[in-house]
Amino acid sequence: MKHGKLTPYLFVLPTIFGLLVFRLGPTAVAAYASFTRWNVRTPPEFLALGNYVELVNTETFWLVFRNTLLFTVIFVPGVMIISLLMAMMVNQKLRGIAFFRGLYFMPYITAMVAVAMVWRWIFATRFGVLNYALTNFLQVADPPAWLADKTWALPSLAIVAVWKQVGFQMLIFLAGLQSVPGSLYEAASIDGASKRQQFFKITLPLLSPITFFIFVITVIDAFKTFEVTFTMTGGGPNNASTTLAYYIYQNAFTFGRMGYASALAMFLMLIVGVTTFISFRMKDRLVEYAL
Amino acid sequence: MKPLKIFLVLLILAFLLAACGGSQAVEEPAVEEPAVEEPAAEEPATEEPAAEEPATEEPAAAEPMDEEITMRYFMWDPSFEETEQIMVDKFMAEHPNVTIDFQTIGTPDYWTKLEALSAANDLPCVFNMSAGFVDQWISDGLLYDIQPYVDADINPDDYYTGVFDVVRDKNSGDMYAFPFAFVETVLFYNKDAFDAAGVPYPTEGWTWAEFLDAAQKLTKDDNSDGVIDQYGFWFYGRYAHIESWVYQNNGRFLNENKTRFAADDNAIEALSFLDSLIHEYGVAPEPKEMEGIRQQDVFPLGLAAMWVDGAWNINGNRENIGDQFNWGIAPIPRGPQATGDAAYGWPDSMAIAATCEHPDLAWEFINFMTGPERTIDLTFGGKIPIYKPVALSEEFLEKDQQPDNKEFLLEWANYTGPTTFTPGWGEWRGYTDGAGLEGRLGEVFNGESDLDTAVNSITEHANGVLERYYP
Amino acid sequence: MLRWIFKPRTLRASLSYIVLFVFAFTTIFPFLWMVATTFKSRGAIFSLPPTLYPDLLFQEGMWEAYKEVLTKHNFLRYTINSFIVAGAASVGQLITASLAGFAFARMKFRGSSFLFAVLLSTTMIPVEVTIIPEFLLMAKLNWLDTYLPLIVPSFLVGSFGTFMLREFFAAVPDELVEAAVLDGATTFQIYKDIFLPISVPAMTTLFLIAFIHNWNELLRPVLYISTPELRTVTIGLTTFQNEYGAQWNLLLAGAVISVLPLLIIYIAAQRNVVEGIATTGLK
Repeated sequence: MKHGKLTPYLFVLPTIFGLLVFRLGPTAVAAYASFTRWNVRTPPEFLALGNYVELVNTETFWLVFRNTLLFTVIFVPGVMIISLLMAMMVNQKLRGIAFFRGLYFMPYITAMVAVAMVWRWIFATRFGVLNYALTNFLQVADPPAWLADKTWALPSLAIVAVWKQVGFQMLIFLAGLQSVPGSLYEAASIDGASKRQQFFKITLPLLSPITFFIFVITVIDAFKTFEVTFTMTGGGPNNASTTLAYYIYQNAFTFGRMGYASALAMFLMLIVGVTTFISFRMKDRLVEYAL
Repeated sequence: MKPLKIFLVLLILAFLLAACGGSQAVEEPAVEEPAVEEPAAEEPATEEPAAEEPATEEPAAAEPMDEEITMRYFMWDPSFEETEQIMVDKFMAEHPNVTIDFQTIGTPDYWTKLEALSAANDLPCVFNMSAGFVDQWISDGLLYDIQPYVDADINPDDYYTGVFDVVRDKNSGDMYAFPFAFVETVLFYNKDAFDAAGVPYPTEGWTWAEFLDAAQKLTKDDNSDGVIDQYGFWFYGRYAHIESWVYQNNGRFLNENKTRFAADDNAIEALSFLDSLIHEYGVAPEPKEMEGIRQQDVFPLGLAAMWVDGAWNINGNRENIGDQFNWGIAPIPRGPQATGDAAYGWPDSMAIAATCEHPDLAWEFINFMTGPERTIDLTFGGKIPIYKPVALSEEFLEKDQQPDNKEFLLEWANYTGPTTFTPGWGEWRGYTDGAGLEGRLGEVFNGESDLDTAVNSITEHANGVLERYYP
Repeated sequence: MLRWIFKPRTLRASLSYIVLFVFAFTTIFPFLWMVATTFKSRGAIFSLPPTLYPDLLFQEGMWEAYKEVLTKHNFLRYTINSFIVAGAASVGQLITASLAGFAFARMKFRGSSFLFAVLLSTTMIPVEVTIIPEFLLMAKLNWLDTYLPLIVPSFLVGSFGTFMLREFFAAVPDELVEAAVLDGATTFQIYKDIFLPISVPAMTTLFLIAFIHNWNELLRPVLYISTPELRTVTIGLTTFQNEYGAQWNLLLAGAVISVLPLLIIYIAAQRNVVEGIATTGLK
């Protein structure tokens, strides 16, 4: 397409302007702040690598890092498997299927503050419906105190996060499934391929680019997780459910340690960046562009 | 496709219109605050405000009457918003040229917000200040020295001056905030449960042994299903729940000058007594059993017959308990090492920002809000007004409501002892995030860790925080 | 009859329905309880065993919680405010993201791939990192306690949207463009008259996603908005939780009110959404 030399720049101008002023600018300030002691109220004081040294030597940091990884390990497969299943279910030509599509998307559109209350009730030790069901229907003698339990708090949050998020990934999977030509399946059926074979030989390979895309955005989401912790446990019990993004928030806002928080943030950006980079590197090997 | 397109276009149009209208409307308040630009120029005044403001008696005269002044005031308790608005309106009625821009933000968002505003040099002129954070704010130079005003306007005989020390700068001794109320922790007890168990009500001078005995009789499994329906007592690692017992056992968490965490034997004894209530005597639940219920609802729901927390919960209890059962308040039971009563209490205060452009007016406002104008009906139930004539009035006792013995709050106010408040308190105490001391005690009370390990771990953690402030 | 049931087709369909309902139940259960609780009296809320059936349903006082939330607590106002903020931010994102997406997809210019990479990589920056510097910037601009900090950044930059529309625009057949060029259309006319009209599904999807994000934003409104009249739904909800912690029926009535508008918008736009994502080239 022919166009004036300046035209494309005019088109991207608003975005570039916003990018510089509201994204890169603040990020640069945060990057600088990570080398300072800064309580936000008084001017920053240069500290060189002090914050980073403290960070690697702090037990809580490693705990929080481990929490974030554990969360990711539950969240990412959980979201991907369930959303793919859901997408396949709602990709059938059945009566009322639009209703189910709409319904599965509902958690995604609701604010976490709004549903956090309900989930806290579900997980409540004594009055919670989950433990009620466990003790009365499944005869579990001593069900855990979910959100107040060191072991269970983080997995519980991850489950809520999966519940909240799957609708979005489902839609993207669904869009992918709908773009698979029906003629492929027909041909496979004629050749005598079972449903299971069709899934592994046709659906999955054709979906691999979209699966990759979903994988990347889901991993980024997992590393950045903040709201479930913020609204449901506040990081408790004793930091058992504190994730990196929440730890950053705590340090910046409740402990008044903006410099240290910025160093943490740089670390978070680094691991997100590295993960994305590795994913893209592996993409060529894993993603099949069949057809 | 067609109807949807129309829908979308309409929607976009609606939003564009709304957005234009909206942003016009909201831009106005910003125009009224040019103060943000040059607040630094005002700051030198903080060192010696007395020299500049000799006319503190009649501060209104300093401001020309016709000058329109808008001053922001932030409060941290949304449940008290309506009552506070009455006070604010009264003040504005007396000062027609003054508009108080009054806003309420619940904690912990309140602190997040103040933190951000202080970074932007845009603090409200007047705001609530807690005993837990005041040292921090003074040392960061964010508060206005109000000592000259206090010297000029305050008659010490009319106020509970004993708690003023909390808001003083530790070096100069000047006050940087003015208490509006005094709070202390008490033992709440369910009278009906006591009657049913045939246990006499708690008295002053109640010992831990007597308390334990009562708690044992009050712990009940009504239907014998193995689930305790009513515990004798309940608590977790929260500051109000723990420090109260430590001080009543003559214990200390901090060293003499409050620069390091160093729990003494009496403090450890208190902690291990509390732990024994759960794991040895079974008269209190592991805290995790109550997860999912707000901590202040356990007692009102009848799940525990006794509870120690701040007296400010009197208001909430009245609302949540209603006429479901009768209840009362009593002092914290005395530990074996107690040499006298030591109440755990502290003031809630109002402070002026160092950047405030109208400190005279701000002080006048604070003086108004904390003085005789605030009658009992405008006071928060369980908090004791700092102004004695109001606190000592017959109305304060609220004899028509529960509890029927509020007079003991006033007497108990004389026994106020130490506190754990330091710079960085919120962090090492785990006040907002349930980590720190609170989290480590939580592990002990939940049976996941033993007391020695927890105390070692908290000492290391707390001192890590304190070392940043007191190298 | 039995034969019909055991016909492989019917059997498969019913199995599908069973699975669909299982998913549906887990998805909807929290919402069911949320709505049910708003019709409960206080005693019923903390009862053991937990009851799902609301005791006030079809009784006198059934709507009390909603009435109280709407009248005493201005949720109507908060909802309108959220509409203004989320609407303006999302519409802006449509405009800027479609302009940028068009340039990235259909024009060659120096630095385009670099810019695009930078744009995408900013999605990796967590909000918590930039919020304090951003706050200081907003204070300098004198934008505190206005909606501008909530609208402008999101208005200008939509990384996901730009990415999505770039993919979409790139898939548009060249013939369409060529015909227009022959007719002497300018670049902007091509964008406006050809690309925008055919991208309604994609734009609707993007609008919806941006709207949801802005509507549910939590941290920024808490920081930037102070005046009660300017509160958005999420701040209204948190303030409310502070105030009425124990009154779950009120809390959840507020939650229901905060969810409804989004639900309605989603239902209205739903058909376009799947199509929108399907045609963006994200496949």
